[in-house]
Amino acid sequence: MAYSDKILKKSIDPTVHQMLARAQELGLETAWDRYEAMLPECGFGELGVCCRNCNMGPCRISPFEDAGPKRGVCGATADIIVARNLIRMIAAGAAAHSDHGRDLAHTLLMTAEGKGGGYEIRDEQKLQTLAAEYNISTEGRSKEEIALDLAGAVYAEFGKQEGPIRFSRRAPRKRVDLWQKLGIDPRGVDREIVEIMHRTHIGVDNDPVNLILQGLRASIADGWGGSMIATEISDVLFGTPKPTRSLANLGVLKADEVNIIVHGHEPTLSEMIVAASRDAELLALAAKLGAKGINVVGLCCTGNEVLMRHGIPIAGNFLQQELAVITGAVEAIIVDVQCIMPALGNLTGCFHTKFISTSPKAKFPGAIHIEFHEDQAYDIAKEIVRGAVENYRWRKPGQVVIPDEKVECLVGFSTEAILAALGGSLEPLLEQIKSGAIKGLAGVVGCNNPKVQHDFGHVNLVKELIRNNVLVVTTGCNAIACAKVGLMLPEAAAQAGDGLKVVCQSLGIPPVLHMGSCVDISRILTVCAAVASALGVDISDLPVAGAAPEWMSEKAVSIGSYVVSSGIFTVLGTVPPVLGSTAVTELLTTGAKEAIGATFAVEPDPFQAAQLMISHIEDKRAALGL
Amino acid sequence: MEQFEGPFLLVDPQRCMGCHTCELACAAAHTRAGSIIGAVLARERLHRRNRVVQVDGVKLPVQCRQCQDAPCVRVCPTGATYRTETYTAVDQARCIGCRLCMMVCPFGAIHVATTTVAGQERRAAFKCDLCVNRLGGPACVAACPTQALSLRYPQQEADRASQAAARQFLRSLASQPQLGS
Ligand code: SF4
Ligand code: SF4
Ligand code: SF4
Ligand code: SF4
Repeated sequence: MAYSDKILKKSIDPTVHQMLARAQELGLETAWDRYEAMLPECGFGELGVCCRNCNMGPCRISPFEDAGPKRGVCGATADIIVARNLIRMIAAGAAAHSDHGRDLAHTLLMTAEGKGGGYEIRDEQKLQTLAAEYNISTEGRSKEEIALDLAGAVYAEFGKQEGPIRFSRRAPRKRVDLWQKLGIDPRGVDREIVEIMHRTHIGVDNDPVNLILQGLRASIADGWGGSMIATEISDVLFGTPKPTRSLANLGVLKADEVNIIVHGHEPTLSEMIVAASRDAELLALAAKLGAKGINVVGLCCTGNEVLMRHGIPIAGNFLQQELAVITGAVEAIIVDVQCIMPALGNLTGCFHTKFISTSPKAKFPGAIHIEFHEDQAYDIAKEIVRGAVENYRWRKPGQVVIPDEKVECLVGFSTEAILAALGGSLEPLLEQIKSGAIKGLAGVVGCNNPKVQHDFGHVNLVKELIRNNVLVVTTGCNAIACAKVGLMLPEAAAQAGDGLKVVCQSLGIPPVLHMGSCVDISRILTVCAAVASALGVDISDLPVAGAAPEWMSEKAVSIGSYVVSSGIFTVLGTVPPVLGSTAVTELLTTGAKEAIGATFAVEPDPFQAAQLMISHIEDKRAALGL
Repeated sequence: MEQFEGPFLLVDPQRCMGCHTCELACAAAHTRAGSIIGAVLARERLHRRNRVVQVDGVKLPVQCRQCQDAPCVRVCPTGATYRTETYTAVDQARCIGCRLCMMVCPFGAIHVATTTVAGQERRAAFKCDLCVNRLGGPACVAACPTQALSLRYPQQEADRASQAAARQFLRSLASQPQLGS
C-alpha cells in the first residue's frame, strides 16, 4: 500500500502509516492532527519566557532587543523566568516518578502486612540485598518481617527532612562529595520537590544559578531516590527481570482473541491483569463468546514492566496508543497513570473499546472508572478482565484492521541480568571497554513527540551508536522503538561495529539492552556507579553518554537533569524551553561542566547527536588513558 | 499628510512569536465588552479577523490585504462586501453567508461564522476592518508584544523605499568616483 508523503513523514513505522491512513478513512483525529492544528505554537512558551506564577501576570519577555518588555511586572528577567519554569518541570517530573515509587512502597507494606490482595515477595534475594543496604537485620527472620522493615525504611525516604537518601550512596564516593560540596545532596524526596514550589513562588529565589541547583537536587532525589525505589521494590514484589523473548508492535493484537491493553506506568495493576487473564473461569467465558483466548499486551511503561517480567508482548510506544484503538480490535484499554492521552476518551467512543481508568489519581473523560486497591488487587483485576471479555461480543469484525508487523525481541536486562550474562562480574565488560572492543556505553531513553518523525531519532541514533561499537542500554519508549526494528535480537549484533559484534555474539546478547521502564533509568545509574567504583573513578570520568532523542514529558526533564547531575553528558533531540535565557542555556550546555562534570547538548539530527556522544566517549577514553 | 491610498498592515515575520496575542486582541476589539475576559463573562462570541499561521517553521499573522480590486467585492452577489476610500468592508446585514468571498480570497482572510446580526443568529462574513472604529488604530498592532505588526500607508512606504534607494545610489557614487564625472 502506498501512503501519502504527509503520512510517511510522520513516522518510520509502517504500522503507524497504515493506522494513520485508516484514521483518515474513518475521519478520526490523532495527536499528529492536533499538533498540526496547534501550529504555530507560542514562541514565548517555546523559549520558556512566559510566567504565570502570580496574578499580576501572565508576563512574557520579548526576545527582541528593541521591542517589547524585558521584565515581568515583579521585575523578573528572562533568566529568572526560564530557570524557574525549568525547575518547575523538574518538580513535576520528579513528583510523578516518586509518587510511582511511593505507591510501590505502599504495596510492599501491605504485602508484608499480609493485606496485599494477591501480591507476594517474589525476589527474596533482592529483598535481602536491599535489607542489608538499609541495615535491616535478616538473621532468622521471615521474608515478611524483613519486608515490613524495608517498606517502612523506603517509605520514610519520601517524607524525611534530613538526608541522605540511602540509594544515593550507591553513587561513587567522589560523586557524593561533589553533591555535598555543591549543596545539592538531597535530603528527602518530597522535601526537594516542595522546595522547588516554594522557591519559584513570586518573590522568593530569583538567582538563576541557585534555582537550577535546587532543580538538580530534586532531580537527584528522583533518580537515586523515588525512581530507584520504584525499580527496586518492583523487583522485590514482581521479580527482577531476566532475559525473556517477546514480540513488539501493533501486530501483537490478535484478530480472534480478546485483546486487553495495559497502558500507563505502574506494574501493580498490570501484574494482576496478567494473572487474571490466565484465570480458567475467564478463559472459559472467552471461549464461550467465540474468542480463542485472552491476549494481554502492553503500551508505554506499564507495557515495559510486564514485557520485562512476563514476556507480555508490547503493542507500541507513546504515539501508538491511539493507533492501537483504531485497529478496532481492542476490547479494553486499561490505564493507570502518566502518558495516557485524554484523547482516548473520545476515540474509544467511536469503537466498542472500553477505556478503563483505575487510579484514584487519574480519571479521564469518557473512561469507566474501576478503582484499584491493593488489598483486593486480584479480585478487581478479575472484574476488569471479565468486563473486557464480555465486551468481545460487541466487536465489529468488519471494522478490524490489525497491521501485520510484529518483531521478536529479547528483553529483560536488569543490572542483575547483565551481570549474569557477563558471568557474575563486571570484569569482562570492563576488559572489553579497556581493550576498545566496546568503546563505551550509551543510555538512550525517552518519549515520542509528534514534533519530530516518530521513532526516526530513536532508531537512527541507536543504530549509529552500535555501528561505532558503543553498547546501548535503553528504557521507555526508545526501548520499544528499538524492539520494533529488531535491534533487541542477538542477531542485531550483525549491525554493530566489529568489536561490539564479537562481544555480543560471544555472550549471545543484543547490542541494545532493554533495561526497563522510565523509572528503571535508575538501573542505568546503578550500572554506571558500579563501573565507576570498580575503576576507582567518578561517573563523569567514564566513557558513557546519554540521549533522549524524542523526549516530551516533564519526567524526561527530571531524568535528563539527574543523569547530567550524575556526571553523564546528555544529548536532547527536541529543544527544551530554555533558549529564552542565554545564561541558563549556557549554564546547562557549558557551565555545568565545571560544576558537575557533565552538560546537556541539543541536537535534533540523530546522526550528529551520535557523533557528539561518540566524540565525548573518545575524550573520556583518552583521559582514562585507554 | 495627504493619503492617496488606504493603509495596510505590515507583518515582520522575523519578529512574530506565534503567540496569538494579536488574534485575541482582534477578537476583543470587536466585542461590546472590549476585552477578552469581559466578553467571556458576558458570554459574547469571540471572532478574530486575523489568523496566525506557520509555514515552513515561520510564524506570522495573516489578515485582509485590503485589496484595491478585491475579489471578495467582485464576487459578492448581494453587495455585502464593498470598498470604501480606505478599506474593503463587509456589511453583515446584507451578507447571506454564501462563502463565495471565502473561496476567492487569495489570502484566506475572510471567513463565515455564526454571529448576531440585528438581534438574529446568522451566518455572516468576517474580515479585518483595520479597526477603523477603534481609537488608537488596529488592536493587533497595539497588542503585539514584539511589534511585529504595523499600520503602513502605501505612499509613505513608497517614499521610504525610494529615499533608501536614492541614498544607496549616492553612496555607491561616492565610493566609485569614475562614475561621478
Ligand atoms: S511572578 Fe513576576 S514575572 Fe511572573 S507573573 Fe508575577 S509579576 Fe509576572
Ligand atoms: S501578537 Fe505579534 S508576535 Fe504574537 S502572533 Fe501576533 S504578530 Fe506574532
Ligand atoms: S459570504 Fe457574505 S460577504 Fe461573502 S460573498 Fe457571500 S454574501 Fe458576500
Ligand atoms: S486591524 Fe483590527 S480587525 Fe484587522 S486584524 Fe488587526 S485587530 Fe483585527
